[in-house]
Amino acid sequence: MADPYAVAAELVTQAVGTRADEWDRAGRLPGDVVRHLAAQGVLCPDVPAEFGGMGLTSGELGALTAHAGGLCSSLRSLMTSQGMAAWAIRRLGDDRQKEAFVRRLASGATAAIAFSEIGAGSDLSAMTTSVTLSGDRVEVSGTKVWVTGAAYADLIVVFGRHGDGGAVVVVPADAPGVTVTPVGDPLGCRAAGHAEVELDAVTLPADHMLGGAGLPMEWLVTSVLTHGRLSVAWGCVGILRACLAAAVRHAGTREQFGKPLADHQLVARHLAELHVAEQASTLMCEHASRRWDDGSPEQVGAAVAAKHFAATQAAKGAASAVQVLASAAARDGHVVARAYRDAKLMEIIEGSSEISQLLLARQARELWT
Amino acid sequence: MSSSTEQAVAAEAISADLLGFVERQTKASVTADLDLFGSGLVSSLFAMQLVVHVESTFGVSVQGEDLKLDNFRTVNAITDLVLRLRGNGDG
Ligand SMILES: Cc1cc2nc3c(=O)[nH]c(=O)nc-3n(C[C@H](O)[C@H](O)[C@H](O)COP(=O)(O)OP(=O)(O)OC[C@H]3O[C@@H](n4cnc5c(N)ncnc54)[C@H](O)[C@@H]3O)c2cc1C
Repeated sequence: MADPYAVAAELVTQAVGTRADEWDRAGRLPGDVVRHLAAQGVLCPDVPAEFGGMGLTSGELGALTAHAGGLCSSLRSLMTSQGMAAWAIRRLGDDRQKEAFVRRLASGATAAIAFSEIGAGSDLSAMTTSVTLSGDRVEVSGTKVWVTGAAYADLIVVFGRHGDGGAVVVVPADAPGVTVTPVGDPLGCRAAGHAEVELDAVTLPADHMLGGAGLPMEWLVTSVLTHGRLSVAWGCVGILRACLAAAVRHAGTREQFGKPLADHQLVARHLAELHVAEQASTLMCEHASRRWDDGSPEQVGAAVAAKHFAATQAAKGAASAVQVLASAAARDGHVVARAYRDAKLMEIIEGSSEISQLLLARQARELWT
Repeated sequence: MSSSTEQAVAAEAISADLLGFVERQTKASVTADLDLFGSGLVSSLFAMQLVVHVESTFGVSVQGEDLKLDNFRTVNAITDLVLRLRGNGDG
């Protein structure tokens, strides 16, 4: 049988082709591309074969995520969201819920994941969306913002308050009371379908609420964010690789002052730093994925560290690549221009740099006291 | 050994492993009946680390209805959970 990683990587390569620039400028991925990749299971390829998925390990998923991230961060963002949604259901759902929802996500359905609200960005404990059970129904009310992929999603995995803790509900995007309004002109990942999701007394069968209801919000979000952080970190590795390839190519061919740019030492330094950033970020990601694949509790901290490091390096590296290409990259759609805008947002999502630093400082004190 | 003795031996081993894990993570000395979450001893990242540790160490999977705070509040509670999940043929 063909190696599932190779199959998935080829599907992504074929689907994107040379169209990422065009998608970025249009702010939209073609519906048939999203449908095709979803149907092949490529958007959440770590779903095990027992649910119809490709069964990639975290390490293989990471390599695929970096591959997609190097081609198109908007598509990679959809993979991050769908991956988190499928993982949330696998982590929190019971056997019937996994059978019902995860199987769909591995075979054509698309998903988004909604934590953030106007008043609850970094501070998710300030969420006001409510999840209420009554008899065999569950009702969800609230407004979520910046939900990546919501514009394409069939299912939206929604976090809300429930009793003293939180709860997670799988909401079909076409359920009565759901309104999805795309975010206009996002700075980056422009075709990722970010949207505001209004939930006006959305009433569903109670079995749309996942297990773990009533757990503290931090418990519910941590495992799902760990999956997302790994994905973003690997996506940033892809951004660094795309920048490195473009910068090396350009600096090796364009001449100024009678020699290639790369032969000017100040330009060469940019290449050196990008080269190291890519390697170090890759190693951090590989380490975190191995912890995930081993089922080690260290996966949680390792994912925060990898995400923080890779996002910081990607933002810095993309800025260097723009510097090396200069006017050649100074237009929307160009791979390096996209990287510059997309990477900056990676320092904000899945735990901003500051929130990551707070978590890492706590980890440092636990380890080194 | 009778099955109740076996159960007691198993419980002791599970409890000892868990105490060791929590003490390593928190650098504090912990008793089996200490409320881990009420005590403010553990960080927000710790809860999921604990779930992952329980699953990978004891070969059980904690999901759906079993994912609740009371099952993880004390080392004793986690020990009971592990024994119950193993008894269900889950491990
Ligand atoms: C492209 C993109 C995609 C997104 N996708 C999703 C999605 O799919 N689902 C979803 O639920 N949300 C999504 N979000 C929302 C995202 O999770 C939030 O933007 C993020 O959590 C930060 O919240 P905020 O924007 O409200 O910033 P704020 O929380 O207002 O923070 C503003 C600044 O203050 C800093 N800050 C806040 N608190 C502290 C503190 N205690 N100490 C130090 N500094 C602090 C922050 O680090 C940041 O620099 C997305 C956002 C973007 C931009």
